[in-house]
Amino acid sequence: MSRSRRWSLLALFATVAIVGSACTPGATTSSPSSPGASQASQPPASQEPFDGTAYPESGEAPCGQAEAPTGFGKYTGNFKKITAQDARTVVFELCNPDVAFLSKIAFTSFAINDTGWLESKIDPNKTENQDIVTQVNGTGPYKIKTWDRGSQIVLEANPNYWGDAPKAQTLVIRWGTEPAQRLTELVAGTVDGIDNVAPEDFATVEGNADLQLKPRQGLNVMYFGMNNHPTVPGFDNSKNPFANEKVRQAIAMGIDRQRITDQFNPPGSEVATHFTPCSIPNGCAGDPWYEFDAAAAKQLLAEAGYPNGFTTTISYRNVTRGYVSNPVGVVQDLQQQLKNNLNITATLDEQESTTFIDNSDAGRLTGLYLLGWGADYPDVTNFLDFHFGTGATAQFGDKFDDITSALTEGAGGSDDASRKPAYERANNAIKQHVPMIPIVHAGSGVAYRADVQDAHASPLGNEAFSVMTPGDRNQFVWMQGAEPGGLYCADESDGESLRVCEQMTEALYSYEIGGTAAVPALAEKCEPNTELTVWTCTLREATFHDGSKLDANDVVLSYAVQWDAKHELHKGRDGSFSYFPGLFGGFLNPPAPEPEG
Amino acid sequence: MIRFVVRRLLSSIPVLLGVVLLVFILARVIPGDPCRAALGERATDAVCNDFEARYGLDQPLPVQFGIYMVKLAGGDLGSSIRFGRPVADILAERLPLTIELTLFALTFATFFGVILGIVSALRRNSPTDVGTMIVANLGVSTPVFVLGLLLAIVFSNWLQDTPLRMPPSGRLTAGLSVVPLATAWGLKELHGPLRGLLDFASNMYLFNTLVTGQWNVFWDAVRHLILPAVAVGTIPLAIIARMTRSSLLEVLGLDYIRTARAKGLRERLVVVRHGLRNAMLPVVTVIGLSLGALLSGAVLTESIFNLAGIGRTIVEAITGRDYIVIQGVTIVIAIGYLLVNLIVDVSYAFLDPRIRLS
Amino acid sequence: MTVTAEPLPELAAETLVRARPANLWRDTLANVLRQRSAAVGLAILTALFLVAIFADFIAPYPPTLSMLDLPVPEKVNRQDPASLRPCIHLLGCPASRPQHLFGLDGNLRDEFSRVVHGSRVSLQIGFLTVGFAIVLGTLIGAIAGYAGGWVDNLLMRLMDILLSFPSLLLAIAIVTVLGSSLLNAQLAIGIVAIPIYARVMRASVLATREADYIAASRALGESSVGVLFRRILPNSLTPLIVQGTLGIGGAILEVAALSFIGLGASREVAEWGGMIALDRNLINPAPHLLLFPGLAITLTVLGFNLLGDGLRDALDPRLNR
Repeated sequence: MSRSRRWSLLALFATVAIVGSACTPGATTSSPSSPGASQASQPPASQEPFDGTAYPESGEAPCGQAEAPTGFGKYTGNFKKITAQDARTVVFELCNPDVAFLSKIAFTSFAINDTGWLESKIDPNKTENQDIVTQVNGTGPYKIKTWDRGSQIVLEANPNYWGDAPKAQTLVIRWGTEPAQRLTELVAGTVDGIDNVAPEDFATVEGNADLQLKPRQGLNVMYFGMNNHPTVPGFDNSKNPFANEKVRQAIAMGIDRQRITDQFNPPGSEVATHFTPCSIPNGCAGDPWYEFDAAAAKQLLAEAGYPNGFTTTISYRNVTRGYVSNPVGVVQDLQQQLKNNLNITATLDEQESTTFIDNSDAGRLTGLYLLGWGADYPDVTNFLDFHFGTGATAQFGDKFDDITSALTEGAGGSDDASRKPAYERANNAIKQHVPMIPIVHAGSGVAYRADVQDAHASPLGNEAFSVMTPGDRNQFVWMQGAEPGGLYCADESDGESLRVCEQMTEALYSYEIGGTAAVPALAEKCEPNTELTVWTCTLREATFHDGSKLDANDVVLSYAVQWDAKHELHKGRDGSFSYFPGLFGGFLNPPAPEPEG
Repeated sequence: MIRFVVRRLLSSIPVLLGVVLLVFILARVIPGDPCRAALGERATDAVCNDFEARYGLDQPLPVQFGIYMVKLAGGDLGSSIRFGRPVADILAERLPLTIELTLFALTFATFFGVILGIVSALRRNSPTDVGTMIVANLGVSTPVFVLGLLLAIVFSNWLQDTPLRMPPSGRLTAGLSVVPLATAWGLKELHGPLRGLLDFASNMYLFNTLVTGQWNVFWDAVRHLILPAVAVGTIPLAIIARMTRSSLLEVLGLDYIRTARAKGLRERLVVVRHGLRNAMLPVVTVIGLSLGALLSGAVLTESIFNLAGIGRTIVEAITGRDYIVIQGVTIVIAIGYLLVNLIVDVSYAFLDPRIRLS
Repeated sequence: MTVTAEPLPELAAETLVRARPANLWRDTLANVLRQRSAAVGLAILTALFLVAIFADFIAPYPPTLSMLDLPVPEKVNRQDPASLRPCIHLLGCPASRPQHLFGLDGNLRDEFSRVVHGSRVSLQIGFLTVGFAIVLGTLIGAIAGYAGGWVDNLLMRLMDILLSFPSLLLAIAIVTVLGSSLLNAQLAIGIVAIPIYARVMRASVLATREADYIAASRALGESSVGVLFRRILPNSLTPLIVQGTLGIGGAILEVAALSFIGLGASREVAEWGGMIALDRNLINPAPHLLLFPGLAITLTVLGFNLLGDGLRDALDPRLNR
């Protein structure tokens, strides 16, 4: 920990320790590293005056920092300060307006934890594998009972839940990688609901009277990427066909995207008219994508100087994602179509998953490649800015100024209507430059036994099991693709973990059941100032599973441990906290970037 | 005998060192990025550099190997890169299942294999014999994964409304759990290696539920083990049946059996008392050698039946570039495998004193 | 993987090197054919070879052709189970639909054509893999047995290290290192099998090393290498052939297993294990897509196993019964 930060941390600890001890007597004795703790172990008083904390304790985060302080990286985040004004009120101050703020704070990673729990279940002296990873103390409808590693997680109803009591007394989470295997379990009646039905099994499920299918709308996009200027050493970009905009346009026209959508994606998938799905506000602003026209495409390719086509590669990884359930089938079809429609000869290049991502991010893929994106939060910035904005990777090569400027303008807008013109320009520019070809917003499906009432599918993948009634049984069994990595979801990034967390913990907002709109959860409301830079949230009365009461300081600390990379409690399963910087721009006190290498 | 065992153990040491080196090298040359495999595709370079420093992955390979050897000598298998948990914990969770599955399958294979072999030998060239041998030959030729996939869907879905219905995957019915032995016996305060051993035994569900008398859970666990055991045990079963048959036929043709028959002993007695015992020698060898096939089969079976055993752990560790887990688990398996081979050799010598222990 | 478990060839070696009648091969064939099961095995393999050789004529479609790419595409959709089902005109499938004996696979390719072409791939896998293992294993075993001393010790300990892993696990690790491809899968299975042949060869060498005619060759001044390759090696061929035939079945099974895990054949290649892996999630709408390639593997392996057993019995008079 740097000396410059220590004083404020100590001060913070002294205060949060008092609050923490008031909630869970004795908890403080187990964290000897907080020096202020020992004086605070008096019994909780019933009407103790609230001692609100703030983070940073004094001053504020250095917004738009121009120069990195010694030993640190530059602060690129959008949080300026978080303050507990009183026991029920938290104020978030931002550096720049953020119209998607509510969507972001609704994300599962920003669930609120109890101060005493954070302090007692995270050991500052241990780098990873903290107790909090397996011990959950949320405010949600279910609480954890057992986690039989490798087999199942058993949750039981939280009798003190502030909302509607869960319908099933017990919720069991199981997992299995193969879609057909999950369906076998569902047909056998050993589970009540399964995630991601194989596209080929939609008919099987629909033809079985004992089952029901809930299509899941695709908040994702699968695309074929092309790099107009790869960073491969010695690569001669003048011979790169993809450096020519006409070539990219020709391919965009020359691929029958409907055929790929029909063959490799379940019903409910949509051919992509834009990179962003239409269900996201402003996602479909601007003109729709090129119509399939092989003849025109061929002519355009000839104009570009390739009348006889050329040879290239199609890189991909054989990994199933929400946006692609059969990558091999898709690339084989693309290969055929390129040959048939444009006389482009492509060889397939399967790469190991992480190597493939590294290569694409670094701009080392010289041919076409198959990739996609699933929404973290339902805002157009999560799609466009991540791929085409100023901060995007080199995956498509050189950036296009008209796209980046339109995106910057769109992100600064204060409401959907005022952002629209910018996104129309951005999408039209994307259509013109064709950095990639959007193919499909892939739907998927969730299946339940027919007697499950109020079964639903969530476009964001966080189904709420507490509202489902599993026939006459009092146990609901859910089978998903994989075991959660951990249940401290601030430090998790995969959907399988997030969904399980979602049953037990709550953030200030949440997404409406079966939808994407942000609705109040632990906050009764959060209201912005007119510039959208200050958000004031009013908390509801809620109790954690261990009996502690929710208050504003819990919110401050829950965010602070994620936000400040030098925070003593900035630790979890592995300490990466990848969603925080992803959604809010960056950590406070980020580690200094490594010198080249 | 003891000298033989000691010598065999000593000669295993260089092999074991070779195993450790081989595994270390193999694990490190696997292409891929452990950081992004562990932290997800969206991890930034800064996060990854930090991550690599934390796990010592930025050190030169010989240094890494040295550190690993020192730790290993102290019995420390390290911590998983992906899950941040000690490999020993992972082993204690996952290995018992594989042991249980393997033993269950081996028992199944031996029991039915020997019986089928005897029946075949006694009714030589009868339709029973021919039928059994056809099935045995088909058994050794069928891929484990095809058998497993078909068994799962046939017995759980197609025969759903019959008494033959079986659970398609998993270890226990959802919601059922075993009580750890430490809890059941009031030894929660116990720590150290003894506790580890107890937890290890706890995770052998059949053993655990048997000694604590949780009969419904025991029966549930057995039902979940049947299909995977059949899938993984069919090849050994077929081999054992064929070996029993040919070995018994050979023995039954020998002089002393003829003498026994001539003495007027009842045929069944001849076979059981004189024939079988001597015919078992090659069968024991085959049983021992089957363990390798069983473990190989377990890799496939565990994934098909969704069992969190050691075979699947290794495959997942390889795809997840979790070097530490790959190393630790493989080394433990190799040690176990060497030990089993030693036991087979010793029991072979024990059964047949004519074999020189050299 | 398992057929190699039977420890017989080492015993066989000693008996076989003694007498070498000129018509050994003809005798062997006659002996093999006299056994019903071996004859069946030979028949299966003959059929398999014919299918492999004439695959282009037997298969109605190229193995990688998607029905969508025909000049006049069939009206098929992989998400419609009816599209994937077999259509056999003789069995009442309407003539308006094109005939597909085994139906279509998950990428709308003719399953029958793929199974037929798969025979080529599997035979090539079997022979290349075992051939590789025999060549290296024989070399190592011969050197170890002939040189003796520390060379023997070192080589055989190396073999022990390879044998200290369940074979499939080691193969998985090797393929992961080399990258998944059919060739690498074969290489991995080949490497894993080396110790078996090395041990067989070493046992043969040890058994023959002291034989009279070897001593004679040596006395006549033949070099060590000459003795090894011209005298000892030919006399050790029989157990290697028996072991090799049995090993082919095992190799095909193991490569199929690797393909099933996704570490073998690329998804375009019509390799039976890979075909099953690709279509395993179609088990509900189209279980035949698992059944047909599965049967093909079983039959092929069965053929090699039966023939191997027959060869062993035929070549080893001691075991005749």
